Amino acid sequence: MSGNGDGNKMRIKNLTMFYGDFMALEDISLDFASRRITALIGPSGCGKSTLVRCLNRMNDLIEGSRVEGEIILDGENILGAGYDVISLRRRVGMVFQRPNPFPKSIYDNVAYGPRLVGMKDNEKLDFIVEDSLKKAALWDEVKKILKRSGQSLSGGQQQRLCIARVIAVQPEVILFDEPCSAIDPISTQKIEDLMAELKKNYTMVIVTHNMQQAARVSDHTAFMLVEEQGQPGRIVEFGDTNTMFTNPTDKRTENYITGRFG
Amino acid sequence: MEIRRDFHEQLDELYAETLRMGSDLLEAIERTRLCFINLDREMADEIIAGDDVFDDYIDHIEEGGLELIARQAPVAVDLRMIIVIMRMAQHFERVADLCEDIATAVKHIPADYLSLWIREAIDEMARRAVRLVERSIECFKERNVEMALELDAMDDAVDKLNRKFFREFDRGREEDLEVAVRVVMVARFFERIADHAVDIGEHVRFMVEGTISPGQGTGQGGA
Repeated sequence: MSGNGDGNKMRIKNLTMFYGDFMALEDISLDFASRRITALIGPSGCGKSTLVRCLNRMNDLIEGSRVEGEIILDGENILGAGYDVISLRRRVGMVFQRPNPFPKSIYDNVAYGPRLVGMKDNEKLDFIVEDSLKKAALWDEVKKILKRSGQSLSGGQQQRLCIARVIAVQPEVILFDEPCSAIDPISTQKIEDLMAELKKNYTMVIVTHNMQQAARVSDHTAFMLVEEQGQPGRIVEFGDTNTMFTNPTDKRTENYITGRFG
Repeated sequence: MEIRRDFHEQLDELYAETLRMGSDLLEAIERTRLCFINLDREMADEIIAGDDVFDDYIDHIEEGGLELIARQAPVAVDLRMIIVIMRMAQHFERVADLCEDIATAVKHIPADYLSLWIREAIDEMARRAVRLVERSIECFKERNVEMALELDAMDDAVDKLNRKFFREFDRGREEDLEVAVRVVMVARFFERIADHAVDIGEHVRFMVEGTISPGQGTGQGGA
């Protein structure tokens, strides 16, 4: 399912974004290859999270935010007038920095999305819950405690529960905004393994402060930067992750990833 | 603001140590040349004994490089530099071994064996090999790719001299076959030293530009 017919599931074209008068992102163009992981890296405040939140229009919720340009998902501009945002959020799921399970049972957390869109058949729900938890590599750990609260799990398990919750609504793209910054290294490794597995079926975008994580998990990497305070975030370099971490083209990328400025 | 200062200081120190190894090596090659020209057996013993220094260098540099890779997860130019430093140390160590081989040969060549022609032909190759190694270290020091690219042509000249030497070498004295082979080998060892310099140049190119030229990984260019 390479939506745009060119191997790219999503394409950002000349995107500029404002919070009120403040220009947060300027002229961003970026392609997200189908069934690949694209990492967004860059110093704090460079607009990585803002950019990733544009991809499922999460920024719509912020008053005064406004965007120019296009974001194409499977050939259709998601910023277009009348675009169905509810269906967009289903197709483009999101995993946040802090695991945020609902104060419900593990089962109900995963069943939440499917129920929301009207599924009532318990047998089908059972199947979706099991399947999603398996895909999120959590099933074996929770299959005997499905009625227990999702919030009773460890941080790493909670994050995988959140991934299962996203998977349950059968998205096409999954956005990860710093998914491992609040969990321990072993859980981090599990999430990374999981991402590699999910790549078979999903297009993924990950925002990460951990450059080694970007190097480990992603196929493509975009480096973003705010050149001077008050200026908007821009893409400095976008390329194949391997090249970005062995031989980046732009001196600013090199300086950042080698820690010569931060 | 530089945020990985400790790491970069350690990397600079490793780089400096590699340059010290190179500078000591250069001196050793020059001494090896003189040792052969004068068939100086005493100097030959010193050169053989002195090889330990280079073994110590390479142990230390490889340890340092591994530690930085394991602990600092270097990327981009830093990663390339560490890889190249470790390769350089290997080349230097092999050149030092070749010096030891030449010194060992010297101990088996009778004082009156070398004709003026042989002496001059090998000396010419040896001088060029010394210059090649010197240049290769310089281009590493100055991260100078253009200079590195010149090494190949310089090495071609050494290869030519080596072939010419082999063709014209006087094989008349059958009773001294073993000695004759040793002399031919000495010429060959100097030629190998020059080859290492060419490989070093290619590594420098990788370090600076990040491009891998064909066959670079094996470290067996030239000849």
